Amino acid sequence: MSDLPSGAAWLSFDGEALYAGEGPGRCFMVDGRCLDGEPVAGAYAHVCALPDAKAKLAYDQPEVQGVRRDAVAWWIPLLGDALVCLTTLALDEAGYGGAITVTSRPLDFREDPFARLFPGTVVRTDLFAAVPPPPGPVLERYAGVAWPGGRF
Amino acid sequence: MTLGPGERFPDLDLPDHTARERRLSEVAGGDPVALLFSRGWWCPKEQRHLRELCALQDEFEVAYTRMVVVSVDEPEVQSAFRAGLGARFVFLSDAARRWLPRLDLLEETDTLHEPYRPTAFMLLPDLTIHRRYDGNWYWGRPTMEDLRQDMRAMSALVREDYERS
Repeated sequence: MSDLPSGAAWLSFDGEALYAGEGPGRCFMVDGRCLDGEPVAGAYAHVCALPDAKAKLAYDQPEVQGVRRDAVAWWIPLLGDALVCLTTLALDEAGYGGAITVTSRPLDFREDPFARLFPGTVVRTDLFAAVPPPPGPVLERYAGVAWPGGRF
Repeated sequence: MTLGPGERFPDLDLPDHTARERRLSEVAGGDPVALLFSRGWWCPKEQRHLRELCALQDEFEVAYTRMVVVSVDEPEVQSAFRAGLGARFVFLSDAARRWLPRLDLLEETDTLHEPYRPTAFMLLPDLTIHRRYDGNWYWGRPTMEDLRQDMRAMSALVREDYERS
């Protein structure tokens, strides 16, 4: 497991539930701001990731860049004020393991662009705090800290 | 207020196209910024220029630089306009015209919309003005090549490892 960079936090997913820190299932690095603050109770997390360690892509792949562009272009505006936070799931400096979109109410997550890469699972959760969404596109190549929190 | 090179641009506090309150410094996020004041969705010159910017956004987003557009359109109008353009950069709404008089950028000749006079500022990450463009006449606006040159110059100033030699 990689060292945790400044600004990142661990999150675990076993296919059904999410755990803060290094819990059961597969561990990912998330934008630490999402777990650092007053949590929103009873939120809905759309987890587009798999517990299987083979489910991994490079951040540099055009498909990964494409879904992040779609997130900024229309996914975040579509969510409106229901959005609590959004983070990609980093595996190491270059590895993408998925993404989570957290909302305060249930929505039609079939539109989620991140679900094009890994299938989505809706999880009720009390873990996540509200974080302003990224205001515009700056794409990090290597993501020691998950997007949108990371810097090159 | 006449804002020119070397001066610090005010840290605007305005709602974005999703109606979330933003500050310009937050949107800049530590990167050079192309800040463009635009009349609004109805203006054919704005539509043309913003389509040009959309063609350049792929370069901006991989080059650690930002684009921000400010207009007097309401956020929901901006959101629809942005979607129609295919823009991924942020729009800030000054529909209440809180900043317009303070920035002295009112287009006096359009008494119907009372919009911003098209003006562009190239800002360093701390919001210091690197260059200003007065775009009342369309050719006064920054071309895409102007923007590339400005982003190159500002990146060279603020990225310590820009040149290795």
